[in-house]
Amino acid sequence: MSYTAPPLLAGDAFELARRVSLALDTELAATERPEDRMVCLSRHWQEVTALGWAATLVPEEAGGVGGALADLAALADGAGRAAFALPLASSFAVVPCLLRAAGARGEAALAALAAGTMHIVPLLPPVAPGADAPHLEAGRLEGSLAGIEAPPAPTHLLIPCEDALVLVPAEAGGITLTPFQRIDGRLTFDVSLHLPVTEEMVLGRGPAVPEAVARARDLGALLTCVEAVSAMAAIVEQTITYLLDRKQFGTTLSTFQALRHRVAEMYLATMNLRALITPMLREDADPSWQDIAFAKLRLGEAGRLVAHGTIQLHGGMGQTEGMPAIRLARRVLMAEFEYGDRSWHASRLLAAREAEMAHA
Amino acid sequence: MAQTTQPDYDAFRREVRAFAETHCPSEIRAKVAANGKLGRREWSTWQKILHAHGWGAPSWPVEHGGMGWDLRQRHIFDEVMAECDCPPQYHHGLRHLGPVLIEFGTPEQKARFLPGILSGEDWWCQGYSEPGAGSDLASLRTAAVLDGDAYVVNGQKTWTSHAQEADWMYTLVRTSKEGKKQEGITMLLIPLSSPGITIRPIRTIDGWHHVNEVFLDAVRVPVENRIGDENKGWTYGKFLLERERLGGANIAPAFKALERTRALVLSELSAPQERMKRDLLLHRLLGLEAELLGARQMGQAAIDDVMSNRPLGLTSSLLKLGTSALMQQISEVALDAVGERLASRFRRADTANATVPDIEWVQNYMYQRARTVYGGSSEVQKNVIARQLFGS
Repeated sequence: MSYTAPPLLAGDAFELARRVSLALDTELAATERPEDRMVCLSRHWQEVTALGWAATLVPEEAGGVGGALADLAALADGAGRAAFALPLASSFAVVPCLLRAAGARGEAALAALAAGTMHIVPLLPPVAPGADAPHLEAGRLEGSLAGIEAPPAPTHLLIPCEDALVLVPAEAGGITLTPFQRIDGRLTFDVSLHLPVTEEMVLGRGPAVPEAVARARDLGALLTCVEAVSAMAAIVEQTITYLLDRKQFGTTLSTFQALRHRVAEMYLATMNLRALITPMLREDADPSWQDIAFAKLRLGEAGRLVAHGTIQLHGGMGQTEGMPAIRLARRVLMAEFEYGDRSWHASRLLAAREAEMAHA
Repeated sequence: MAQTTQPDYDAFRREVRAFAETHCPSEIRAKVAANGKLGRREWSTWQKILHAHGWGAPSWPVEHGGMGWDLRQRHIFDEVMAECDCPPQYHHGLRHLGPVLIEFGTPEQKARFLPGILSGEDWWCQGYSEPGAGSDLASLRTAAVLDGDAYVVNGQKTWTSHAQEADWMYTLVRTSKEGKKQEGITMLLIPLSSPGITIRPIRTIDGWHHVNEVFLDAVRVPVENRIGDENKGWTYGKFLLERERLGGANIAPAFKALERTRALVLSELSAPQERMKRDLLLHRLLGLEAELLGARQMGQAAIDDVMSNRPLGLTSSLLKLGTSALMQQISEVALDAVGERLASRFRRADTANATVPDIEWVQNYMYQRARTVYGGSSEVQKNVIARQLFGS
């Protein structure tokens, strides 16, 4: 028996998310035209909304499930088994995390999120914001951001601007959304904002907002690690299956030591990252930003090793979009750029150490 | 098995730390901290101290001088010792031969050899590898022929660590060429003072003297120095290796190496014009630290698995493969920090005027090259991992 990747968080949530993700990936792989892909994504988005994924981290008093991080992580674990082309961390973790910073004024939006009537795009500021990052200026919201991950047909944009949290309807005048697609097939928008802001659009102000942004980014990074490590395990499994099946030079590729050793390296990288993440998902865990930064840093290196490995080991087939493992590889490669890349996480770890030493 | 109360691991950790900090001689700790090469003198001094405290053999059964600690306590002990810059306990007697003697030795052998191992009085080395039998150990050819009440041993061992300072060598020899090559192997305990033994140092790339060639020319070894049965030596040798499978779970020495290297980078490259290089090296160390943190969790999970009677699977191979490469990479960062200054001033430790300050960083870098070779090379580990992943 060859290797079967075990779930990180076994259970119904994992199984369900895996099925949903596989169905979406299979359908999307056979769908070429952008407008058809959009229809496909929208249908599956409706499905996961109906399944209540958006309500997972919404508190019960706001009509949500009041679930723990591990509940959403189990969905990310399942979804990670195929190149799930819908926003999971950003829509279902980052959005509720930001909205909760607004206290009572965020509750209506939280309820609408849980009910599936609002489809919210969070505009987390970039880790190194440029001069044109969204900002409030004399009663106006000005600025632009590129490559914002989004669900199909978003209804609202949730924009932290320094210490203010702003929620605006997506169709409001002065908002331009230019759609793109990421390397892993997910939708993004380039957003430009030039509009007046009314007080009712400002859900909250104060230090709670930047704190929530930092927390949301860490949460997003951790869930990205979960999705990615799940994808990496699936890649290892599928690569082995391919090598056991594919014949060249009169024998199966799985007999060649050079190829077997590369798989062993991919497996080690996957298991190492998995070990790093597992304790952070325990019920009593309270991972620090440093824990998450180290995991995300590790993902950058381990993820690439696994993605490059599977592309190489699939040979010519590895250059095509046709193989599920290769679509997974693109998902893992994309994960590096979500919620801070490895250079950023390393830099902030380094800066903290330096500050500590200066203090000592 | 009745459920006993779980030990207070935190209290245990504190107890071990307090002991290590107060009882381990500062000059030995300083040598460990400076990547110095430890010899019998340091190791046996430390073993005597541990033994006097009743902590001579954490991994042995209580009736033979062990402490009855569970696996996690033994792991904590090793971890704290490393964190405090105490030498790891000398493995050849305590971890390798001792358990084999306890399992397969005669009462006379146990009475003769176990006390000397425990007290640090007797010093052991391992006679396994041969010029033609390294990773493929079962191909060994050093021959032992029974002649009356003694075996007559002829052949050559190599890579024999500590032979230059040991009293005894536990040795695998060939007593039969029949059947599979694993089946004709016997384990003998050979005094290194025996006539016919010649020990010659091997000049390793690190400049330290730690391994030797051992030539055996008609060496007479009394039959009572044979462990267990003739031709069953492979079983005893394997028993020994299997007991070592969790050795890689102790990541503390690697974290110490990382910390020391970070301190080196900060002090060596403290000048403002070195800022870029310093940050580059610190970034590399962070990447290694991330991977080490994962390895530490793998080690913890492995201990949980063994304590809960779950199969270990591939963990020991993964730990060996991963940690050995990490140790090498850490030593590479250290070399990059000091290399310009020190690589050009390398001297062999056995030549006069050998004490170029900090040269240990260069030696240690060279020494770390062996990590991915000994104890099952990286290639062997990958074979093991792939065999299980591919199902054949």
